[in-house]
Amino acid sequence: MIWLEYVIMQRALIACILAGFLMGLIGVFVVRMRLSAIGYSMSHGAFAGAALGVATAMDPLVTGLAFASGTAFLIGPIADKARLHVDTITSIVFPLNMALAFVFLTLTPEIGLTSQVANVLWGSIISVTNNDLVYLATLFASAVAIVYFTWKELFAIMFNRKLAEADGIRTKPFVYMIILLSGVVITFSLKLVGGLLIYALIFNPASTTLQFFEDMRTVVIVSPLIGAATTVSGLLVSLVFDLPVGSCIVIVSTIVFAVALLLSPKRRRKEENGNEK
Amino acid sequence: MTEDVIIKLENVSTVYEGERRPAIKGINLTVNRNELVYVVGPNASGKTTLLETINGLLPPFNGKVSVFGLDVQSHGREVRREIGYVPQDFMVKPGEPYTAFDVVLMGCYGQIGFLNRPSEEDKKRAEQAMKLLGIQELASRPMGKLSGGQQQKVMLARAMAKKPRILLLDEPFSNLDPDSRGQIPLLITELHEKQDLTTLIVTHDIHHMLEHCNRVIVVTGGRITFDGTPEKALPLVENHPHTTPLEGHHH
Ligand SMILES: Nc1ncnc2c1ncn2[C@@H]1O[C@H](COP(=O)(O)OP(=O)(O)O)[C@@H](O)[C@H]1O
Ligand SMILES: [Mg+2]
Repeated sequence: MIWLEYVIMQRALIACILAGFLMGLIGVFVVRMRLSAIGYSMSHGAFAGAALGVATAMDPLVTGLAFASGTAFLIGPIADKARLHVDTITSIVFPLNMALAFVFLTLTPEIGLTSQVANVLWGSIISVTNNDLVYLATLFASAVAIVYFTWKELFAIMFNRKLAEADGIRTKPFVYMIILLSGVVITFSLKLVGGLLIYALIFNPASTTLQFFEDMRTVVIVSPLIGAATTVSGLLVSLVFDLPVGSCIVIVSTIVFAVALLLSPKRRRKEENGNEK
Repeated sequence: MTEDVIIKLENVSTVYEGERRPAIKGINLTVNRNELVYVVGPNASGKTTLLETINGLLPPFNGKVSVFGLDVQSHGREVRREIGYVPQDFMVKPGEPYTAFDVVLMGCYGQIGFLNRPSEEDKKRAEQAMKLLGIQELASRPMGKLSGGQQQKVMLARAMAKKPRILLLDEPFSNLDPDSRGQIPLLITELHEKQDLTTLIVTHDIHHMLEHCNRVIVVTGGRITFDGTPEKALPLVENHPHTTPLEGHHH
């Protein structure tokens, strides 16, 4: 019967492709610029924000974005200056955002797992609207354009931020641009995957790809493709077994990452050399 | 005459964030155009801090640093675009997705400017720099798969490729094999003359100091404790327990 919902399915499929591609793309920069802790904190910030949106009947996209940016601007400069260890920051911010999210969800007028609350928690394909698709498509075009036009700087910063500075590149705007972009991508993909799981989709495709390729240009093309392939496969699995779509996407993504680790030429070589970091 | 002063430090102290004591203090130093200066001194005496204060990577300091007559506090990026810097102990881990050529070409990125792509000429310069250091056949190899010595040559080529006016090299020969260790310092000395560079090289190797330059700075405990000819520096350096030519025994 769900197969009859042709329009919903079509929207879900397009959303999965766009969101998967975007997260796979932005993940490369997040992972290589060592922004994982910030990305992780931001995704739970977006989750708390979206929960607030649901509770107050505001647009969860707006509140999610506000919380993600708030988190980024709070912890970005701290992490930047290394005044506190990033792990310490994450350990404080993660539970705080979670606590806020659950308080907000409890404040929702009809307490309990209304469909909107459930969407924020573990994602839903039924909730994807045409507007969401327009946002995702715009984001897709912007992200590709940004990466294309600032590739030189991003490439140098990913290699080594201090060396990039030593060559006269102003690195801060580019790093903050990536943080901001990942916040936006996370917020706009939240509906699909849910706030509890979304970070896996930033991290997994990029880490999977980085196991295999020795040329950054290949990595930045293949990772978004892996991202899109996993979201689409996750969608199909969820339809076949009638399971939450976010969970299925993350499970597929984790399996892909695990298989990549087993097959990875880089990891095998490291183990042979016995100089695992 | 003032045009000939390339680097000038006036009563400079640098304090690392979170530290109380300055890592270098009260430094006065003038380096003229086309001078080649070796910087020696025990570990943790402030040699690296000195180089990174000169190129403005370590911002909060007292005193004034000017390079080409520009204050590095306010003109750091402009200045750094003209400086070839080789950081100490720079090593790329295996598996990192950058080729040696990527790394060399990247040195020019600051000069190329926002939104511009490297030109054919930039690429040619990168190739030439690699050729100069005898590593042209490594161009397409992943950086992380190269040996420590090969990586060090790539970093030197990177510093050269940007056609710098200043070279700041922080223990750039520490991983080289004995053959290269004889050749590369000589190469740098020649290049330094030919390209009208102004160069500071941090080293522990007394032989380099004696053979390849005519000015030596000794840094001890964050201060410049000697500034003069290599011959006069020799007794100071030899007597110091930390500055025995460690590198010579390594390989
Ligand atoms: N990032 C840092 N933060 C705090 N202290 C530092 C940092 N880097 C170096 N230092 C300290 O500054 C002093 C000078 O270090 P450095 O310039 O690296 O010496 P050298 O290059 O001569 O071995 C040392 O006491 C060192 O411990
Ligand atoms: Mg040092």
